[in-house]
Amino acid sequence: MKALALVALGLLLAAAIVYPVFGSGYGVRSVLQIFMWIALAGSWNVISGLTGYVSFGHVAFFGAGAYTGAILIATAGWPWPLAAAAGGLGAVVLAVVIGYPCLRLKGPYFAIAMLGLNEVLRALVSYFEGLTGGGNGLSLPTLDATRHIYYVMGALAAVVTGGAYLIVTSRFGLRLMTIREDEVAAEAMGIDTFHHKLLAFVLSSIGPGVAGALTARDQGYIEPISVFPLAITVTMIVMALFGGKGTVWGPVLGAVALFVVQEIVWARYPYVHPLLFGAIIVAVVLLMPRGVLGLLQVRYRLPRTI
Amino acid sequence: MGVLEVRGLRKSFGGVTAVNDVSLTLDAGRIYGLIGPNGSGKTTLFNCITGLERSEGGSVTLGGTRIDGWKPHQIARRGVGRTFQVIRVFPELTALENLLVVTRGPRAMAEARAQELLRFVKLERLAGEYAGNLSYGQQKLVEFVRVLMTDPALILLDEPAAGVNRTLLNDLLEAVGRLRDRGKTVLLVEHDMKVVMGLCETVFVLDHGEKIAEGPPGRIQADERVIEAYFGR
Repeated sequence: MKALALVALGLLLAAAIVYPVFGSGYGVRSVLQIFMWIALAGSWNVISGLTGYVSFGHVAFFGAGAYTGAILIATAGWPWPLAAAAGGLGAVVLAVVIGYPCLRLKGPYFAIAMLGLNEVLRALVSYFEGLTGGGNGLSLPTLDATRHIYYVMGALAAVVTGGAYLIVTSRFGLRLMTIREDEVAAEAMGIDTFHHKLLAFVLSSIGPGVAGALTARDQGYIEPISVFPLAITVTMIVMALFGGKGTVWGPVLGAVALFVVQEIVWARYPYVHPLLFGAIIVAVVLLMPRGVLGLLQVRYRLPRTI
Repeated sequence: MGVLEVRGLRKSFGGVTAVNDVSLTLDAGRIYGLIGPNGSGKTTLFNCITGLERSEGGSVTLGGTRIDGWKPHQIARRGVGRTFQVIRVFPELTALENLLVVTRGPRAMAEARAQELLRFVKLERLAGEYAGNLSYGQQKLVEFVRVLMTDPALILLDEPAAGVNRTLLNDLLEAVGRLRDRGKTVLLVEHDMKVVMGLCETVFVLDHGEKIAEGPPGRIQADERVIEAYFGR
């Protein structure tokens, strides 16, 4: 079983590596986006799926990474791979600054604070026109690097998923879960819940930060509403919930499945698309709160490696 | 100098004084009982000692170090373990994971110890089961052995006998006795007088947040203030 899973994983990886050689522009761009969603949903899962602290503003890290990267490319002339790394670092700094006060808030208050953070960042970015271009947005020098960005984004998705595997199968991951299960008991058993939450939060900000900077480079133009929309947060949450929050592969499954469904629906019925997402949220929460893999895991006692 | 020294501890909620000027000393290698009518402040006292509630006055000293004002996890890491009156296992972690999660150091050693403790409470066949799916009594046992995983010097048990069947209870009490023999200190809140009288060397009695009596079980049973607290005048 384990060997079979490894072979399947190897084949998938090989396919992803050779795909840009013969794939169409649309195809490559689509897979690139799937990589991005895997990185986003997988990162959200680390803080919210494991500790139960639902972040309703995770797109803030995506936007912070996008602006950090874009500004460094446009005004300082940094090469984009370096700017992408800086995007991750920018998100980490933001996570530390925000996490310190906000992670002392319990459950719902934290969710609302994160929602507010995103709105504040969007307003700030619009205000500081000199640096960010304000509402007019920020244009980057033209560069066709989609195929290169494809590989970097793919590596990011792999690192996020691999990192989630290491976390979930370790005692560190179990300690994060105790915060979700019973924070008071976790404290009484000697677990420093605040610093565990903070570390999980910081780790969960890196992926979105890097993904934001890569997306900024790929699209060549960003504006406040394009990199700080609530819809990105909602989408990554729905993907993680659908696939199975708190599992390793749930966010991957959710990202692939929902992206494909979304593309099909969006192409044919553009106005039904938001409706469909709403319906999926309701259906998942009501019928399958653990998501697909979470349900299988509980029903068949599958190990944490799922 | 005892393992734990509580001096003049005070805690109130709004206008209600839950713990009022309570002092007690626990020596190493002994089992102490804490009794009193409902609402007399037993659990609040536990919470103040373990840092879950912040006391408003007085001091708590553990092995010579003041720990009042410390965070719960710091106190726990210092060697204070506890169970809860209402069970607090981690429901979506397996029984084994519930024990494993509180450990540090080599994982193989921790797993071996967890298996050994689960065998001890006869739950080894349920090691891979989610704790939330276990029966009330089984969860109680998981919570009890989870405390033992970190080998704390001081163990606070909040009603360990409630809901546990007689056979298991005897094993559990035997285990508490063995802990004492290994030099551990145990303080237990218990309503089952048979358990308290059979196990504890010293009993503290709380009423309306105040300590009204302290002494060996035999004397406590005959103490007029204690009888009055329980049955009224």
